[in-house]
Amino acid sequence: MTTATLSRWDRFRDSFFWYSFKRDKVAIASFLVLMLMVFAAVFAPLLAPTDPYDLTQIDIMNSELPPVGLSGSDAAFPLGTDAQGRDLLSTILYGTRVSLMIGFGAVVLQAALGILFGLLAGYLGGRVDAILMRIADVQLSFSTLMVAIIVGAVVKATFGSLMFGEIAIYMLIFIIGVSEWPQIARTVRASVLAEKKKEYVDAAKVMGFGTPRIMFRHILPNTLSPIFVIATVQIANAIISEAALSFLGLGMPETQPSLGSLIKSGFDYIQSGSWWITLIPGLVLVVLVLVINLLGDWLRDVMNPRLYKG
Amino acid sequence: MKKLLTAFVGSMALSAAPMAMSAEATKELKMAYDADPVTLDIHEQLSGGMLQLSHMTFDPLLRWTKDLGFEARLAESWERVDETTMRFKLREGVKFHSGNELTAEDVKFTFERLKSSPDYKAIFRPFTEVRIVDDHTFELVTEKPYPLLLNAATYIFPMDSEFYSGETEDGKAKDLIDKKGGSFASRNMSGTGPFVVADRQQGVRVEFERFDDYWDTESPGNVGKIVLTPIKENNTRVSALLSGGVDYIAPVPPTDLDRIRNDKNVDLVTMTGTRIIMFQLNQERVEAFKNPKVREAIAYAVNQEGIAAKIMKGFATPAAQMSPEGYQGHNPNLKPRYDIAKAQELMKEAGYEDGFTITMMAPNNRYVNDDKIAQAVAAMLSRINIKVDLKTLPKAQYWPEFDDRAADMMMIGWHADTEDSANFYEFLTFCPDSETGAGQYNAGNYCNPELDKLVEMANVETDLDKRAEMLQTVEQRLYEDAAFIPLHWQDLAWAAKKNVKIEPVLNVMNFPYLGDLVIE
Repeated sequence: MTTATLSRWDRFRDSFFWYSFKRDKVAIASFLVLMLMVFAAVFAPLLAPTDPYDLTQIDIMNSELPPVGLSGSDAAFPLGTDAQGRDLLSTILYGTRVSLMIGFGAVVLQAALGILFGLLAGYLGGRVDAILMRIADVQLSFSTLMVAIIVGAVVKATFGSLMFGEIAIYMLIFIIGVSEWPQIARTVRASVLAEKKKEYVDAAKVMGFGTPRIMFRHILPNTLSPIFVIATVQIANAIISEAALSFLGLGMPETQPSLGSLIKSGFDYIQSGSWWITLIPGLVLVVLVLVINLLGDWLRDVMNPRLYKG
Repeated sequence: MKKLLTAFVGSMALSAAPMAMSAEATKELKMAYDADPVTLDIHEQLSGGMLQLSHMTFDPLLRWTKDLGFEARLAESWERVDETTMRFKLREGVKFHSGNELTAEDVKFTFERLKSSPDYKAIFRPFTEVRIVDDHTFELVTEKPYPLLLNAATYIFPMDSEFYSGETEDGKAKDLIDKKGGSFASRNMSGTGPFVVADRQQGVRVEFERFDDYWDTESPGNVGKIVLTPIKENNTRVSALLSGGVDYIAPVPPTDLDRIRNDKNVDLVTMTGTRIIMFQLNQERVEAFKNPKVREAIAYAVNQEGIAAKIMKGFATPAAQMSPEGYQGHNPNLKPRYDIAKAQELMKEAGYEDGFTITMMAPNNRYVNDDKIAQAVAAMLSRINIKVDLKTLPKAQYWPEFDDRAADMMMIGWHADTEDSANFYEFLTFCPDSETGAGQYNAGNYCNPELDKLVEMANVETDLDKRAEMLQTVEQRLYEDAAFIPLHWQDLAWAAKKNVKIEPVLNVMNFPYLGDLVIE
């Protein structure tokens, strides 16, 4: 078998990446759980027994039913209902969808901004570097919460709360994406600084390639591994940020609950018997963030050249 | 040794003596309400919160007792002179916080200010004047014989006329009533009440100190200092009480009643309430609400029993009218009419089968579970294709919005100030008239002059059976017209530590007489 006929899949199966994945039980378990959650979230409209965003399906008489197995439960609501009578299972499926969408969306936005500014700052250096990194410093000194309060208030005032419900998810992606890009930009800049002194960059320069081509085609692929690691962790962070914002009432509206706003809506009841409204979505959130973090940890170990095949 | 002992005992006795004297009012009460007073001007807003503040820092001429009788306060005695005149004798030697003495002049000043207050003038419309007889005697005169004269007099909290007269540095009259805030009276006060506001940070805390020269020396109250902290979150407020952070809380959320009842360090006091919670449908803002069929459809779509049973945990009585049982206007034939099929049918008949979109506003710290109720009603209305854009606000921001009639459906809770049905109609369903103050809280702009006339006739009717019949007819007609969407009468609950004896100072009006509160 020659290298030419080696398919991508075969190459992948021969790689150290796959090799170490197969041997790491934690990574496999985390990956399976994450895939399960992503699958459930993506196909939520097909899997969920009811549509929690459709107010006409809610009946107040069904409110605060406990999960199946406890006295007073109803088989139609396997995980019970919240204080307004929404089916908790459906709401959690939809809520996970919102959380994941915000997590991935925010990280894509962060990565786009972070990579662009990081590459420019690292490769061009000098004044560009100084300006971009100071902007990053300023950005980091605003807390996500404050940006969210300001943007949220402005958006709510201009569009009204009904419209706000429709654009809230994009607003959250924007807020979390914009407020956290310096994390990625700094990592990229550091890798670029190390890479740009290497011979292959000099070679490319001698060959007469333009700056953009060297930046994106030559240096960027060599800085990707730390980006992958940090992006995974950032997805978890973004999900947590969204949950925190929603818990404080700055995120998703109560009519379209995400995991965070679901936890909040049950908070009044946690000590008065109806613990499931907060506890179950809380557990889902913890599991989701935990598996993403575990995968991130594993990825960091694999991609660390010092530990390579060690 | 003996000498030493006597010296010791002697010094103890000496040091104990002044302590025993001031032990009168040395207890400190830490309390948590769902919100703090919006302003210090008691005539700026007619609301439960303001009246609670009035009872702490002012005193009324007379006040309700627990069993709905009258108790003399600043008025020592009263007697009827003729059909339209009542003569009051003021207590002598009563001092305001500023040091001025209370005279009949202050009552006249207060009465005139009430007549000019947009919120209070409707209550005092039947009254024509306060006639001063001498320094401590005055007559309250009504236009026609008015059966509720004394009821209204419980809302006269004499203000310090000297303190509130004149102009501030920027040239505004000190007695100005400004609903947008910023008047002299909204920041300063001088009353005769048991407590003085020592420090106030809006939304954070209010500190009250006992007034040294308080006239009522017979009062058993021994609270020297009150710290009021607003805690909006139900769960947090209850936890603050159970963990010992505060001594007294109100309101107690229905979800936590059992938890409090089961705690051995805490007492729970509950009463069946008379405060009606309702939604008003603004006909000026929404063309469809002018159609009685649409209003009726909404009345059929709302499940009062569901809200009372589930959100209020049975801690409320589902309502189909405004007058609670026991009031003259209470019409026993009116029942909640939840029926979705009928509601959809009515929408179809009205030509709004596809529905429409409306805005809704509700407070989130004024009534028990107000925001959750609003959410539930929004969900119920979606069944008849009415899409609701809901906004819930803290009460400090809600009332200005309410005064502006800023949404198509607005929530309001009303407790009849005179403990009489007519008060509901006068404020909530009369044709709005800023001149007379009628319909001041009628955010639905419902207007039916015929019913208004009937209520006014009932107001001068002295035959109680006839009066009851008239008021019940009004209630019936309002029901048929679906003038508003009644939800329930909210029950009342307070909780305090065992050593704080709140029970004797509480009443169904929800005006705790904290001046008389005893802490053991």
